Amino acid sequence: MIETFHTMQAKLEATPHLLRLGRLFSENVLVQVGDDEIYLTFDKGHLTHVTAGPSRKTPWRFALRTDAEALAQFWQPLPAPGFHDIFGLLKVGRGNIDGDILCLVKNLRFFKEFMALPRTKREDAA
Amino acid sequence: MSIEPITGRYLTVTVEGAPRRIYFEEAGQGRPVLCLHTAGADTRQWRHLMNDAGITANNRMIAFDLPWHGKSLPPEGFETEEYLLTTEAYIETVLAVIDGLGLDRPVLAGCSMGGRIALQLAALHPDKFSGFIAIEASDFQPAWYDIDWFHRPDAHGGEMGAALVSANISPFAPNAERWNTLWMFMQSGPGVFRGDLSFYTKDDSLIARLGDIDTAKTPVHLIVGAYDLTCTPEDAKRTADAIDGATLAVMDKLGHFPMSEHPVGFRPFFVDALKRMPAGGAA
Repeated sequence: MIETFHTMQAKLEATPHLLRLGRLFSENVLVQVGDDEIYLTFDKGHLTHVTAGPSRKTPWRFALRTDAEALAQFWQPLPAPGFHDIFGLLKVGRGNIDGDILCLVKNLRFFKEFMALPRTKREDAA
Repeated sequence: MSIEPITGRYLTVTVEGAPRRIYFEEAGQGRPVLCLHTAGADTRQWRHLMNDAGITANNRMIAFDLPWHGKSLPPEGFETEEYLLTTEAYIETVLAVIDGLGLDRPVLAGCSMGGRIALQLAALHPDKFSGFIAIEASDFQPAWYDIDWFHRPDAHGGEMGAALVSANISPFAPNAERWNTLWMFMQSGPGVFRGDLSFYTKDDSLIARLGDIDTAKTPVHLIVGAYDLTCTPEDAKRTADAIDGATLAVMDKLGHFPMSEHPVGFRPFFVDALKRMPAGGAA
């Protein structure tokens, strides 16, 4: 799983509009996928460190917790209802968000689009 | 170059004892169909259907911006007022627009909070309408978010609101229309989305009124998208089941803003809904 986040790190660097949206975002974020904890360190919109947990010494601002199968569905080009958005994962009981949720909401478009970076493009479908 | 058939004008009516200058658009002729936009948005959500010659051939499509929304200014003195929409003010506004425009028993089509108020009007003022199309509408939705997030001095409420409601847009929506839909939320005035949500997430008075709706006199058709996290198909079904004679259509590939986010996908569902309403139907 951590390799995927390294790939997302590279994709973020190649996505200028996201770097612009995240220019005020400098926080640690925990993404927990099943039993795997992954700490993401953002600095002015750049993802500077991807660190495998568990860690009890790394503070984080907010956490997104889900499972690998749900995340795989989330990254499909046309996800099923509920798997199409991080808040959808919560709605279908496959995710949880805790910590400073207001911080997440203030940076919601940035973080949502960051999390969706592995999603492959699709043609507009009727 | 192209010029669309939609025309826009202003109407001044009295709501809550004070004047409201309301912007409205219309296109087409025939049976009047009054369209209500969602929270935090405006009349532009309906532009695809209003530009659809197959629909406007037999239907006079009319949509208006609620006060505080789109091109309708807030009332005088708004600068010291906390905007909090109420069921009563919303109903009074819709009835004032109908009277002001001289509409004879229009079909009422509303989406989200507009669908909620359509069902309230079906229960309370059915004599003013010929039928109701309630889109992404349910009896009640408590907030799964904090509505105060969307009106703060340290963040842009419109951008946060757009990022939140993007959760309700289908991945099947064409990208251009997804972003056109979100732009309206980004443009929403400060505190307006919050004030709309206050009504939508706190007033549960419709639940007790659903049994009063007489679909033999005014048909009620609900339409809901599978990708709507706010009003889910289960929410819409629960609501339809509580209205004797109401019908429901589920759109597998659409979300909470179907007429705006995916007009091509929504069209057949809207045409079907119009056919279920009295006095003719769309092409």
